[in-house]
Amino acid sequence: MNSIVIDPITRLEGHGKIHLFLTDDGELANCYFQVPELRGFEKFCQGRPVEELARITTRICGVCPDAHHMASAKAADAVYGVTIPSAAYKLRSLMYNAFFAGDHTTHFYALAGPDFVCGPDAPPAERNILGLIAKVGLDAGKKVIAQRAGGQRIIEIIGGKKVHPVTAIPGGQAKRITKEEQQEMIRIGESMVQFAKFTIQVVNDIVLANKTYVDLILSDTYAHKTYNMGLVDENNKVNFYDGKVRVVGPDGKEHAKYEPKDYLEFVSEHVEPYSYLKYPYLKKIGWKGFVDGVDSGVYKATPLSRLNASDGMATPLAQEEYERFYKTLTGDHSGKIPVNATLATHWARVVELVYACEATLDGAKDEEVVSDKIHTIPKGIVGEGVGIVEAPRGTLTHHYKTDEQGIVTMANLIVGTTNNNAAITMSIKRAAQDLIHKGVKITEGILNRIEMAFRAYDPCFGCATHSLAGEMPLELILHEAKTGEVLSTTWRDSTGKIFHQN
Amino acid sequence: MTKPFLILCLGNEVIADDAFGPEAARILLESKKLPSPVEVIYAPVAGFALLDLLAGRERVLIVDTIQTGHKTPAGHLSFLALSDFPASHNLTSSHQISLPTALELGKRMGMTMPRQIEILAVEAADLETLGGPMTAAVQAALNDAVSRAILWAKKASRSKNQ
Repeated sequence: MNSIVIDPITRLEGHGKIHLFLTDDGELANCYFQVPELRGFEKFCQGRPVEELARITTRICGVCPDAHHMASAKAADAVYGVTIPSAAYKLRSLMYNAFFAGDHTTHFYALAGPDFVCGPDAPPAERNILGLIAKVGLDAGKKVIAQRAGGQRIIEIIGGKKVHPVTAIPGGQAKRITKEEQQEMIRIGESMVQFAKFTIQVVNDIVLANKTYVDLILSDTYAHKTYNMGLVDENNKVNFYDGKVRVVGPDGKEHAKYEPKDYLEFVSEHVEPYSYLKYPYLKKIGWKGFVDGVDSGVYKATPLSRLNASDGMATPLAQEEYERFYKTLTGDHSGKIPVNATLATHWARVVELVYACEATLDGAKDEEVVSDKIHTIPKGIVGEGVGIVEAPRGTLTHHYKTDEQGIVTMANLIVGTTNNNAAITMSIKRAAQDLIHKGVKITEGILNRIEMAFRAYDPCFGCATHSLAGEMPLELILHEAKTGEVLSTTWRDSTGKIFHQN
Repeated sequence: MTKPFLILCLGNEVIADDAFGPEAARILLESKKLPSPVEVIYAPVAGFALLDLLAGRERVLIVDTIQTGHKTPAGHLSFLALSDFPASHNLTSSHQISLPTALELGKRMGMTMPRQIEILAVEAADLETLGGPMTAAVQAALNDAVSRAILWAKKASRSKNQ
């Protein structure tokens, strides 16, 4: 058996490796996806006051610090057994929706959009945000920057800091909002809704109007029938900040709906010897390996699965887009038939972006956000708490136990990307199976189409905070399995050039 | 008012060798040896967020960790030009755009971007251990890095006065 290693060597955002094992006749036999994981989280948290974790855990991920801040704060609320005031709840929700609006904007325009706007086979030098702007117009770039800046400004107003918010504390919020700040947030919210409409138009004009792209989205190469997980409100509508966790099967039937505190009754973690990262699965169904279908416990927690796990969106324009999404992809607007096309995750992310923008505006208009009643002083301690929010890239769980002084004795996290670990592996395998065959020359376009299989999940590998280079050169090494002899090496450098060495 | 020269220290104070940037920023600020037109910022950010920090500057020195994946020993300091990092032609970063792409984007959007960016990078050994101390080799490079950053600041400041 031969083996191909796709080795994305990022500088700081982790260094995931994809191993593809080929049979002697050149067909794909198996696939292993490896990612590094930050070590020592539990030890790092132990001995610290639980209220400190909402500020510290923002540092474990430079991509979604706001998600960790919120999940941690909710877990700390539960540790102290305190219900936060309504105004604090609304402030947190507002900030969180603004965060989602900015984050989903980044992913769509900088990472996913170029595959569709510029094309998956476009030269790498054009297939990026600069190429996207060249095609959509300079004005699009200005809108993207303004949208992100608006989201950050709301985070700064409510969270105290632009990037790493600090104001969610056990029992509520630590910072009040002035009426002037509220007016500023309303203006930002209005601008966000306009941006959402603009993005819908981009999806319509450039993606959906191109049959090739729609066919690509719906192709078997990128399809998986797994369970879908997402937070829902009391009406089973998508909610990023709060609610119950709902799990819906690939057949559209509800498998579970549970309170965050009960997550261990429903989710367990499988371990593979070759990976640091665990593979969460649905406990009541069980781990059946990297297979899909109703009998496999594999689930996804992505924008697409949030839509699949819900009955709709809580704002009008997003609901319209939700119905159009399902009508286009399943023929039924209700959403009761799940979409199992992984690449549809990008469109689902846009539906969520629309919701985040509308919810930001609605939240900013709520008079209660300027209330003084934003904190309830905790008067006792339960000693254990679970906080769950939806991070942009999946359901995020923080679980703490403390002593009677609120000092952390146990901490457990299931982060967004971890939920999707099994599904990402399966998606890469499926794409590779369809694209790599004996005699097929491995081109940059093939590499990119395999990458597209995991890019849809918006994975956050290393949780490091920065990247100077940010490029991810790919290296494929073909081995003769019996002797280990290298038959050939193919690699792509950071300028997109393909090199081949026999 | 935005100062024309910036020493931008990137990193993460809670992750082993990634604390190099924030620690360098702390020492630089405490040294009080920096000329007045030079600002020092520690920022645990990437991608788009860098645009805000770079806009309006003339020259920037970025202090950061690097893992080249080659045989460079941990703690080795390198002065790199931005041209050593080719523009991000691949969409392969897990979530963010690269620094060169961010700069190019800023320019195309009509923002005033620095005319010169240099990078003082230290080869890191451990970027995965939360709460872990810096490895000895990287820790040992701190003073040298700070001295080089101060030298850069003085040269930059003099260039403004000439």
